[in-house]
Amino acid sequence: MAPADTVIKLSEVRKEYMLGTTLVEALRGVSLEVKRGEFLAVAGPSGSGKSTILNMIGCIDTPTAGTIIINGKEVEHLSDRDLTRYRRVTVSFIFQSFNLIPVLNVYENIELPLLLQKVGSQTERHERVMHFINEVGLSDRIKNKPTELSGGQRQRVAIARALVTRPVMVLADEPTANLDSATGGKILDLMQKINAAEGTTFVFSTHDTHIMDHAQRIVHILDGLIVSDEKKAG
Amino acid sequence: MVTLKIALRSLLRRKVRMVLIGLLVFLGTMLIVMGETFSLSTSFSSKKSIIDNFTGDVILYSSKAKEKPTPFAFNSPLPVIGNSGHIEAWLDSNGLCVSHVAIAQNYGMMSIDKNGKKTDVPFIFYAVDPVKYYATFKNVSMQSGTFYNSLGTGIQEGVVLSVLQQQTYKKNYAVDLNEGDAVTLLSIGDAGSVNAQPSRIVGIYKPKYYSNVFNYINFLDITSYSRLYNFTGVDSASLPASVNNALAQQTDDDIFGLAGNTSSMVETSSLVSKELSGYTTIAVKLKEGVSGTLFRKRIAQMGFDVKCATWEESAGFFAYIGSLISGVIYGATILIFIIVIFILMNTLIINVLERTGEIGTLRAMGAEKGFVRLIFLWESFLLNGIASFAGMFASFVLIAIIAAGKGVILPDVVQQYLTGGAPLKLILSIRPFAEAIGLVGLVSVLATVYPVRVATKITPLKAMSDK
Repeated sequence: MAPADTVIKLSEVRKEYMLGTTLVEALRGVSLEVKRGEFLAVAGPSGSGKSTILNMIGCIDTPTAGTIIINGKEVEHLSDRDLTRYRRVTVSFIFQSFNLIPVLNVYENIELPLLLQKVGSQTERHERVMHFINEVGLSDRIKNKPTELSGGQRQRVAIARALVTRPVMVLADEPTANLDSATGGKILDLMQKINAAEGTTFVFSTHDTHIMDHAQRIVHILDGLIVSDEKKAG
Repeated sequence: MVTLKIALRSLLRRKVRMVLIGLLVFLGTMLIVMGETFSLSTSFSSKKSIIDNFTGDVILYSSKAKEKPTPFAFNSPLPVIGNSGHIEAWLDSNGLCVSHVAIAQNYGMMSIDKNGKKTDVPFIFYAVDPVKYYATFKNVSMQSGTFYNSLGTGIQEGVVLSVLQQQTYKKNYAVDLNEGDAVTLLSIGDAGSVNAQPSRIVGIYKPKYYSNVFNYINFLDITSYSRLYNFTGVDSASLPASVNNALAQQTDDDIFGLAGNTSSMVETSSLVSKELSGYTTIAVKLKEGVSGTLFRKRIAQMGFDVKCATWEESAGFFAYIGSLISGVIYGATILIFIIVIFILMNTLIINVLERTGEIGTLRAMGAEKGFVRLIFLWESFLLNGIASFAGMFASFVLIAIIAAGKGVILPDVVQQYLTGGAPLKLILSIRPFAEAIGLVGLVSVLATVYPVRVATKITPLKAMSDK
């Protein structure tokens, strides 16, 4: 049983899949516990298993072996509907390629998770959307479609969209990979600011050492195994 | 509704592809509406034309007949209806029919003595009561003379020849028959005896409709016909009841069973001679709202010695043509819509595959499968709804314009079989539009089932791996 402040616990998680005729061991027995309010970086080179860990934490992929416990329940005992609800309420994603809905404008993209959650009145939704639009500094881009925004602006929309439902945890898969270093730094600053202000747990993957510097805790992964788990003091 | 918003904008985002698909649905809808309208109009016109000019709503014929009545029963005429006078009197008084006419179909010879040359020619004919025939069927256009005394004046007895028949005699027999010419009608009895009846040509007519049938049919008045064929019999009222009953049973055993039965002894001096008409069929036009079924029931209750055929049974091939065209149109419609379903389904699958990342993102954000399904259903319904509405509107305008005109002129041979020769009048009916709505709805659902299945199987992992 995980402690109450544990958001998710992975125990001896293995993930194998076939790539053509080759068996790929993406994770080879990973154990990890993520606590509320952490700002955690999963670091490692390409192909080390960073994204696979994030997919396991976000319950969008299932392990070949081992257990994942969310809110005291093993994931394998949860139905598709339960997992969908988990993704809708508990966890939010920030994608490397932003993954905004191309036909919706900035405001509508950020409002979408609230509509999926069937959050209250239009007034309440508007207040929450506008709050996060201001937080990410896009109040002058409300009506713009994703194609009319720069990469940094798109990622800021993605961050606002991820945060608008006030999730317990935000998973970000290389959130700065498609951005220049200055913009990437700003995005990380913004995530840190929200982590501090809202207490939202952030788990993000990266192979960039400058980005890792922002993290409170860094889990290093290599060839599907956690090789180090270090916490920064303070 | 966010699903509607996403669906609508996704359609607008792929304008060219959607316009092409919309055009396909638009044309498909037009084909359904126009095809169904054509089919309905054909069926209606064919039925009306056959009933108005050919058969009436029902045809009565002798219960002894083994064949159904047809317009061509000349070589093997149907048995004579023995009590046609009683039946016609009942038809006059029962309030079920608008008009009726008894007809005898037969063939005979005409002997023509003209310019010192005697020629015998064959002719087939309808023997009718001219006044009743003219009141029931409006298919006769007189080229010379009058149709007997149908309009209150004119000669009551003689032959009305068709134009084609007149031309055929001229070509094949070098006989030029015209109004007023004397002829001798010849009939050949069962035992080979020949009966002769002097007559004359009353007029020459051209059929207004169904010229491919009536070009070969001439008319003879019923009085001349009865005399020519000696249709004389015994009035059944002068026969003992047991004899009438046995005759009504129509079996040899019943009739021969009369032998030795003293109550069936017939005193020949008491028998009353009666001149019979020789009619083989009675065509009846029913009043509006009177069904053939009701008429059959009523006539069965009367116990007349007749059977009742519907207009479709009597018109045979001509009635079948309308159904055949409807069937072909329905078949073509189904084929078109199967094609539309496949093209639409293909396009929607391409849409789904192009939007794998988008769908995966929605699923990663916690969208239920139903949410994704609704987006694609909206897209399909919007596209098909708008295109089919436009198709229906265009069809409506087109049908209204054609219906206001003189009708659709088809090749004569087609028109002859469909409408008896008249241009096809299109009927603006709600049914083709209702069917188009139903079919488009069905297509929308069917064409969406598989793409939606593909879409809802897309996992959030796809969104994560869509780099």
